[in-house]
Amino acid sequence: MADPTDKARDEFLSEAQEIVETLSRNLLDLDTSVRAGSADPGLVNEAFRAVHTLKGLAGLFGAGRLGHLSHRLEDLLDDLRLGRMTLAPEVLDVLFSAVDAYARLLAMAREGSDEPVPAVEELLARLDTLAQHAPGKASPSSDYDLDPGLLAVLTEYEEHRLRANLEQKLGLYRLRVEFDLATIDKALEDLKERAKRHGEIITYLPAGEATSPDAIELDLLMASRDDLATLIGSLGADNVVIEELPRRRSVAGSIAPRGTTGRIPQQQGGESAAPVRAGEASLDQGPSLRSLTQTVRVDIRKLDNLMNVVGELAIVRGMLARLAERLRAEGERRTAADLLRLHRSFDRRLAEMQAGILEVRMVPLGQVFERLARVVRQIGREMGKDIRLVITGAETEIDKLIVEELSDPLMHMIRNAIDHGIEAAARRLEVGKPIAGTIALNAYQKGNHVMIEVEDDGRGIDGDAVVEKAVRLGKLSAEDASELGREEILALVFLPGLSTRGTVDDVSGRGVGMDIVKTNIGRLGGIIDVQSEPGIGTKMTITLPITLAIVSALMVDVAGHTFAIPLSTVSEALSLDAGGTRLLDGREVITLRGTTLPLCRLERVLKLTRPPGQPAAHRNYVVVVSLGNRRLGLVLDHLVGQQDIVIKPLGRSLSTVRGFAGATELGDQRVGLVIDAAAIVDEVLAQSEHREAPVHG
Amino acid sequence: MADLVKAAPERLARRGQSRGPVREFLTFTLGADVFGVELARIKEILIPPPVTAVPRAPTDVLGVCSVRGLLVTVVDLKARLRLADRTRSRRARILLAISPNGEAVGLVVDEVRQVVRLTEDDMELASAGLGGEVSEFVLGIGRPQGEFIVLLDLGSVVTG
Repeated sequence: MADPTDKARDEFLSEAQEIVETLSRNLLDLDTSVRAGSADPGLVNEAFRAVHTLKGLAGLFGAGRLGHLSHRLEDLLDDLRLGRMTLAPEVLDVLFSAVDAYARLLAMAREGSDEPVPAVEELLARLDTLAQHAPGKASPSSDYDLDPGLLAVLTEYEEHRLRANLEQKLGLYRLRVEFDLATIDKALEDLKERAKRHGEIITYLPAGEATSPDAIELDLLMASRDDLATLIGSLGADNVVIEELPRRRSVAGSIAPRGTTGRIPQQQGGESAAPVRAGEASLDQGPSLRSLTQTVRVDIRKLDNLMNVVGELAIVRGMLARLAERLRAEGERRTAADLLRLHRSFDRRLAEMQAGILEVRMVPLGQVFERLARVVRQIGREMGKDIRLVITGAETEIDKLIVEELSDPLMHMIRNAIDHGIEAAARRLEVGKPIAGTIALNAYQKGNHVMIEVEDDGRGIDGDAVVEKAVRLGKLSAEDASELGREEILALVFLPGLSTRGTVDDVSGRGVGMDIVKTNIGRLGGIIDVQSEPGIGTKMTITLPITLAIVSALMVDVAGHTFAIPLSTVSEALSLDAGGTRLLDGREVITLRGTTLPLCRLERVLKLTRPPGQPAAHRNYVVVVSLGNRRLGLVLDHLVGQQDIVIKPLGRSLSTVRGFAGATELGDQRVGLVIDAAAIVDEVLAQSEHREAPVHG
Repeated sequence: MADLVKAAPERLARRGQSRGPVREFLTFTLGADVFGVELARIKEILIPPPVTAVPRAPTDVLGVCSVRGLLVTVVDLKARLRLADRTRSRRARILLAISPNGEAVGLVVDEVRQVVRLTEDDMELASAGLGGEVSEFVLGIGRPQGEFIVLLDLGSVVTG
């Protein structure tokens, strides 16, 4: 295994990455809440904690620049959460650019590089400017009538919140709640969530009067605009007692812990008290040694290894079945029956194990959507366009490896949508659309596939402009162009070099186009389609397999060789009678439901040698593979059936071989090659210029 | 053999007497000639499993096979060394090695013989001036007890 320090460093980096992602999520929520009128103090506080934790982590791992940045951000967030500074959009901009700066620094830490990063320097300079404009630190005021005993146990932040709430003339309440120690984390969260509707929980402290050793009682100090009856009606329960605290009296007697000086009384023992205020504990008393989550981070390669073991067990399973068959044939009926029973039970467990490993690999698409939400905000602001992002299906799960590879293509599609799709505000008003452009990001599962749609309500794709450009770039002759239908015209945007704008701009130019997006999606076994209505909008739909680990494939025979064709690329299979084909421009084609389908004989294109005694079949089959809008019929001898396969990449010495996506075990000690339909389609359809003489089967 | 090494036997015989560290080589035959590779680099000796030909592969690659879940690229060693004799032996074995770039490579040999222990005196290394006309795959010549073993550099053989 890896060097332990490497491993710790990897752990650090992935943990830091997770925190940065959480921070990014917080900031987006914060952005929404600021737009809605007021910054949610809880979110500011969460952002503060995230940065604080990052600072601690960076310190532990000697990541100086990360620590420095975190330190400065922490100061800014501290000012924000304590009300010393207001959360203006410019401040949010700075915070958002911090997320990018973190990403940059983490990437560099991963590569072990310590080159200067101009973006980080710039950010630090902006933080300086903000700090100078911040008002001087407000002195902790004591102009309200609360017992100093209580004030002593409040953190500065809690004190600020208490004051802010009292200034708004809210009432103070004490909730005494008994929690079960086993479920306290969740129960407390639930209660906080429900309390949010009525006000804010300012602090909570153990009361130490629990009725059983498995329970703990907490006093919650809450500020609320509602009266006691409403609160009791909404939050009251057997384990919750709510009292109103008189404003002009000392509240210390009723709310402060029994212990006279300590913040957290130790009656329960450190162990049981610790999780109660875990968040604060790590903030104020240094990092806790106990991990607070039930999750582990796993390198996905370890899961791949497990999947390989499952693959091997599947082979053992096949051998068991054959052994049972042989025993039965030899008359050992009872043993054979026992063995078959064992085999079935083994089969079931193996399927469960496979499903279990797959489940672990699955992550919600929300992970990548959040990153995109940040991009939308950023590009929208850069281009002066008001963009509303609507996300549905963020909980849809897909293989971790796919998620990682998805963010770039999706980001590019969204940039395109904002830049080329959404019109300028003036134009939108003119055509009667709302000023804010809408980009919808929808994900949903459909059978063994995940569909992701990127939809905008912009100007739509100008078909004429696309055709004109394709002709100008020599991708298309003028005559051919006149015969294209709308669908075929739209498919042209996936050709290299086609971008309907003339200029290379900062947002979506840079020479990277939809062709790259399409190639990247294709590499994941996915396809992309486009629909667009002029004036109404454009919708790009990506279809992806749920996992890369196990692929459903169609097993076929060609000239005595067995191949697997991933079902994600197969649209249908049909039988083909000898002589059922015709020639079009020197290429063998058939007519399928009114459209012309070009054919490719695998035996010829792969130059397979037919084993002696295996004459060519009279009747062939055609497997139609489709990639986006391109379709090709692969001609082969037999369809063997459908099988779930684990694809293994071919070795380096075969890396130059085109047409195969890898190999898979067939179960009888043999290996079958997996057809890379995309490569074959590219190769065959690109050969149109030098067509080969057709051969009739 | 002449394809690979054109070394004068008398020059090989003139080596000094001092004894150095011992290296172990696994010897095998290809046609009539004896070859050796460093034993430590060989993971396994396999009875050839069914090999699936890979269309469009380089001519010296016979195909792929699976060894307990590991996908192995099977290389026809005679073809890779550009030997004229391409017959397949009934006692053929596959020597499994992992290439420097992590690829599992199986080398098909005619017959596995034995392990020989060679001191530096028993070897004449190509780098020590065996002469210019040596294939890039040859590490040197081993001469234990008057035998003549072509020692192959496994790293370059499996990388191809």
